[in-house]
Parts: sequence; C-alpha cells; structure tokens
Amino acid sequence: MFEKVLIANRGEIAVRILRACHEMGIQTVAVHSTADAEAMHVRLAGESVCIGPPSVRDSYLNMCAILSAATISNADAIHPGYGFLSENAEFAAMVEEHGFTFIGPSSDHIKLMGDKIAAKQAALEVGLPCVPGSAGGVPNLEAACVSAKEIGYPVLVKAASGGGGRGMKQAWDEAELRKVFDQARGEALSAFGDDTVYMEKYLDKPRHIEVQVMADMHGNVIHLGERDCSLQRRHQKVLEEAPSPALNAEQRANIGEVVRSSIAKLGYRSAGTVEFLYENGEFFFIEMNTRLQVEHPVTEAITGLDLVREMIRIAAGRPLSITQDELRIEGHAIECRINAEDPQTFAPCPGKIGDYHAPGGLGVRVDSAMYSGYSVPPYYDSLIAKLIVHGANRNECLLRLKRSLDEYVIDGIKTTIPLHRRIVLEPQFIDGEYDIHWLEKLLAEDEPS
Amino acid sequence: MADDSSSTKVDADLIRTLAALLDETGLGEIEYSEGDWHVRVAAPQATTTVSAAPTITAAALAAAPAAETAADHPGAVRSPMVGVAYTASDPDSPSFVKVGDTVAEGDTLLLIEAMKVFNPITAPKAGTVTRVLVANGDPVEYGEPLVIVE
Repeated sequence: MFEKVLIANRGEIAVRILRACHEMGIQTVAVHSTADAEAMHVRLAGESVCIGPPSVRDSYLNMCAILSAATISNADAIHPGYGFLSENAEFAAMVEEHGFTFIGPSSDHIKLMGDKIAAKQAALEVGLPCVPGSAGGVPNLEAACVSAKEIGYPVLVKAASGGGGRGMKQAWDEAELRKVFDQARGEALSAFGDDTVYMEKYLDKPRHIEVQVMADMHGNVIHLGERDCSLQRRHQKVLEEAPSPALNAEQRANIGEVVRSSIAKLGYRSAGTVEFLYENGEFFFIEMNTRLQVEHPVTEAITGLDLVREMIRIAAGRPLSITQDELRIEGHAIECRINAEDPQTFAPCPGKIGDYHAPGGLGVRVDSAMYSGYSVPPYYDSLIAKLIVHGANRNECLLRLKRSLDEYVIDGIKTTIPLHRRIVLEPQFIDGEYDIHWLEKLLAEDEPS
Repeated sequence: MADDSSSTKVDADLIRTLAALLDETGLGEIEYSEGDWHVRVAAPQATTTVSAAPTITAAALAAAPAAETAADHPGAVRSPMVGVAYTASDPDSPSFVKVGDTVAEGDTLLLIEAMKVFNPITAPKAGTVTRVLVANGDPVEYGEPLVIVE
C-alpha cells in the first residue's frame, strides 16, 4: 500500500480524499494556490505545498508544479479528484513516467473516452446502447424517410457541420419530416456552408441516468447501481438521487449488467461512470467519465462502499474488496449541491462565511471544506458543500432531506440552499416525475413575462 | 520536523514484539500508535516504517512566524515555482552568492530545479545579499522567500 498520497485538487473533494487516506493510514500531501493557503484541505493534510498563484492555469492545472510537489514531498501516488487534471490523459501519463502511481484509469482509457466520436464507437463495439441514427449523411428526402422509419419517430434532422443546438429540426411523423427536411438542409447550408444532414432519434423528455462501475487490475468489474441526475440547470447537475425513481429492480439489474460486461470488455480499471439518456424504458449512451464523480456519495450511501478507498486499493494492485453478488443496494439517497450563488440569478457569490452550522443526525452527511470565518475565493468552482441524506426508502429520505436543509446555516454569502428547500416541496419532484428539462421549466415560471 | 527527534527514536523492542505478532497471527500488516507517532510493520516485504504522525499544524505553526517576516521583507526574492533549490551550479563550485555579497541586477542568486530543468533565479535589482533563506538541496514552494537583497 502507498505510504504517502498527493491530492492534486482543492475544496471538498480534496478533503474527501484525504479522509479516506487517513483512515487507511496513508500520509497526505495537499497542494494549493496562494489563494488557498488557509483552506481546509491544507489544514487537514499531513503536509502541504504551495504550487502557484490563484489562477488555476498556474496552480491546479500546472502539471509541472504538481509533479515537482510530489517529488519534493516524496509522495508515491497522486489522486486527481474530479475536474482539473482528472481527465487529462497527458497528466496521467506524465505521473506514471515520473514513477508515481496515478490513482485512476490508464491514460489510454482517459484519452479514448475524452474523444466523443471514438468514445461512441468504442461504446457500440462493447455493446452499450447508443442513440440510433443514420450511418452518415442522408442525401435526399426519400433516403431520410427510409432512415426515419428504421430509427422510429420522432427524429431529429441535424446539420453534419452544426453544433451548439443550431441546425436541428425535429419531426414527429413522415408528413412533418417532408416539411422540415429541405428547410433543415437550407439552414445547414446558410449557417455552416454545408448542406449535409444526418438523422438521429429525438428524445423529447429524457432523464439523465448514469451507472457507477468499479474495476480492478485483475479483471474484476462490478456495477454499483445507477444515479438519477436529471435535475439540471444549463447542463450542470443540481441534485442527484439513487436509486432512480424511474427504474424498477429488473431494469436496474439489466442496465447494470450491460454496463458491467461492457466495461469488462474495455479492460478498464478504477472508478468510472457511464452516462445515459433514458426515455420510455430505453437507455442511450452519452459519455463515460473516467474519474470519481461529484455525486459519488449517493452511491456510497446506498452501497456502504467507500469509493475513494476502493480506488486507492485498486491503484495499489489490490483486488476489489467486494463481488457483485455481495453488493447490496439499501435504501435511498439524495445529494444536494450547494453552491456559493444567488439562488435566483445564479450569480456567483464568493466572500467570507460568518456563522456556519452543518446539519447532522442519522443518515446525514456533509462533504465540505467550509468553516466559520473561511473566505470563499472568487477564482474557483462555486460548489462549496454537498449535503447527502440517506433513508430506508425515498419517502424517509425526502423528509430527512427537508429537515436537514432547514437546519443548514451558512451566513455571510448567498447559497443555493433556498433553491433546494423549494425543490423538495415540489409535488412533481416528490413523485419522482421529472426529466432533464423540469428544473429549467420550473425556474422559467419565476421570470417576468 | 526539528521538534520530533525524541518521538522518532526507534523502539526496537516494540517492533520486535509487533513483528513476532505478525508471524504468530499471519496478519499482513500491524499499525500501532501512541501519542504523536505511529509504527507500521508489514509482511511479506517486511518493511518497517516509523514516521511522525501528521501533526497537522505543529511544524507549520512553528515555521510560520519566521517565514512570514522574511516574506514581508521588501527585498525578498521569492521562488517562482515549486522545486528544489541549489545554491551552487554543482557540488564542487562555490555558492552563487553568500551573505554580504554585492549583486547587480540580473545576477544569478540560485537555481530551482523543477522537472529536471534548472531555472536560474536572478536578482531583481542591484544590492547587498543580507540573508540566504534556503540551503543547498532544500525543497521550496511557490512564493517562498529565498534570498533577501537590500
């Protein structure tokens, strides 16, 4: 096992990782920018190294500085956390070249999944369900109608050179397709100088459901069930829960096994998450995240497994500490991401924290690097805390979450706690009836028309 | 780590006892801690480590006041990167500078090695070296004061 691990991150995730290390008897090295000299991850780590000025490019993204810090502190492994360098294949390769262990997957897998086209190709090859579509461009209306029939309506006509949501037309039946097809080509030509269009299945009200996997170097792969991350704003997850209210036990076991066997075929190691859009009982691969996720604690809550500990063990060459048959999913868990933002405008709100009181009690976990008197710096992500609540069932979990949110006090700055207090009272959320557009629709209702 | 010379003294009897326990029980690893130190005895590589426990702030607190006064000094030359400081170009050469030397702007004060590259740290202005705050081979952090030129 490792003697000393350097944590190449900051904030709540750096604290999360050093907690796992200390429980395993592993010494820790925190790295920090000058802006984070007083940060909790620096205060809790065994040693700390200042690696640069506040700008992330010169500190937390500075690969040379982080490797130098590992050298001078005699660390033997580096955990990248999430964000920053966690999905940087070059960094993972450099870490290994310098004789340290990268606590994560191989740089080849990071690279593969970082390339969206190669990732989809790899996903198809190992048997993950993808959004059905035409094999390439469709040359004319008749070809489009044939393709649409194969895919199944509704379909989306997309500009091959398009992006950012532009150059897309949806069609719910053939009559509509006949109407929009030439329009889509014309728009593609004028917007992108290329009238090549292709077809894809249109998902109207999908949910975002992702499956957590964990694989060791000995060919053992387990899935740890799914997380439902449909509550999003501008493609940013706001609240996550597990299990998904949309799946039954059979669907859960099915998709879990599909993912587990696919990841085994890839020869992947460490923690990973396969993200899907889910609609009408079908899953469609979006991407794979080759790292620990922000929302990993909901999976920890329902499985009782410490994912960071497991990642460290895997990197040290140990086998998975649990088999698929031994794994039990118990109860229900929800995580609220608490950001230093105005709960209405979502404008970032850095500043000094006054009184701070974190909720507690049975089934309540707060992952945060905050403390009373701490100044939230303006240079980094606005996520300042994660409240994770576990209950015997979804109803108990919701009641406990409401109670915990009411208890939480963060004075001095604006946070998104009021947004979460509102969400837990919404009847559709309570019923589990929501998709990836639900939260934005709810927020749009507030805006003066 | 100047404050823990007593705590890192190896207790040979304790380790022998733990090693015997390892053999007897067939365990892979035993960790034992008392006060601010801990011992880990592991098999089969039979590695033994004794280290001061991460006493979090003790060392940092002790070092902080001295470093801060140097860091506040207007003539402090700070490290632009994390790395290892070298006061001479090679072990046989004399130091680039010593206390009392007069330096011109641009004169090399020391080298910082990062990623196998030696980066010269030069005097930002002409003056007299009044303090050299690092020893040859010392690890340095970003922003750490290295030399004071007045």
